[in-house]
Amino acid sequence: MEVGQMQRRLVDYTKSLFMEGFLDAQFLQLQQLQDESNPDFVVEVVSLFFDDSEKLLNDLTMALDQPNVDFKKVDAHVHQLKGSSSSIGAQRVKNACIAFRSFCEEQNIDATLRCLQQVKQEYYLVKNKLETMLRLEQQIVAAGGSIPMIELGF
Amino acid sequence: MLEGKQNGHVFKLPKVILLAKNITNVELEKAKAAGFADTVIMKPMRASMAAACLQQVLGIGKKRQAGKDMLNGSPVLQGLLCGKKILVVDDNMAHQRVFAGALKKFGAAVECRESGKAALKLLQLPCCFYACFMDIQMPEMDGFEATHPIRMMESKANEQMNGGMDEDSGRKGEWHVPILAMTADVIHATYDECLKCRMDGCVEAL
Repeated sequence: MEVGQMQRRLVDYTKSLFMEGFLDAQFLQLQQLQDESNPDFVVEVVSLFFDDSEKLLNDLTMALDQPNVDFKKVDAHVHQLKGSSSSIGAQRVKNACIAFRSFCEEQNIDATLRCLQQVKQEYYLVKNKLETMLRLEQQIVAAGGSIPMIELGF
Repeated sequence: MLEGKQNGHVFKLPKVILLAKNITNVELEKAKAAGFADTVIMKPMRASMAAACLQQVLGIGKKRQAGKDMLNGSPVLQGLLCGKKILVVDDNMAHQRVFAGALKKFGAAVECRESGKAALKLLQLPCCFYACFMDIQMPEMDGFEATHPIRMMESKANEQMNGGMDEDSGRKGEWHVPILAMTADVIHATYDECLKCRMDGCVEAL
């Protein structure tokens, strides 16, 4: 596949992520911060997000598995996850966290367990999407092309 | 535009900036009435916003031009942050990296720390930081708890200087590093806390 085709594929793919709500405008900010002096900025930040999230989801699973759930602790973890996900523009994860926090406030164990499932689901979805997107980018760069900037017209 | 808050010092003390995702008109008016800057910056945290904010806080430039100066790479904002040392204190690594990256894009020299304790070490006098953005929801020592000793230290140093002119900075002996609080929940209590512990602004982080 030649570079132009790859670039078009990437653009279409990335746009679909915005259309489907996986990513929001914050992600564009990340892309804009990447330049010659910071060529791996997006990958670095996304990796931080992955690392943070894996750890937090583990912590959350453990915290909600206790006989006496410490909702303050649970809330603190969700707060962190919300922070990370919004920093990179992972909109659906962020929204799932917002819902999660409201149930933490209510100390509703059933609802929070459901929320955890929801957040996990959204996380794995966006992780998958981002990895695919980053792979496409790598292929373009390896072929000598540059990563096209996305213009959002909506 | 905020002029001569509280005291008649020649050096305009950094003003307070309230940065919020959703701020009601009531809260905004209250902020203005209390002598806070009238700048409300919408989230998520952008360097352009932070820079515009600092511009207001430090009394540089003229009237607020909402939206006008807030372009990435705007020469005014570029000038403001270029070469300045900024401290970002946040225990959320992704957010820290993004915000620091944005400030660096504007030419700032950014240092990052993950805790209030670590930040305190860097904020000892004489302080070389132009401004500090501090998360107020960190374990162990949060932004409020970290600001307190800083202000104590500054007060002491200022008293000792006894209002005499500091030749280097041209200030009337007023040490005051602008500290802007970052929070993910701008609720009333948080805003009041910022006022109480003499932070200069409150930014709603992601």
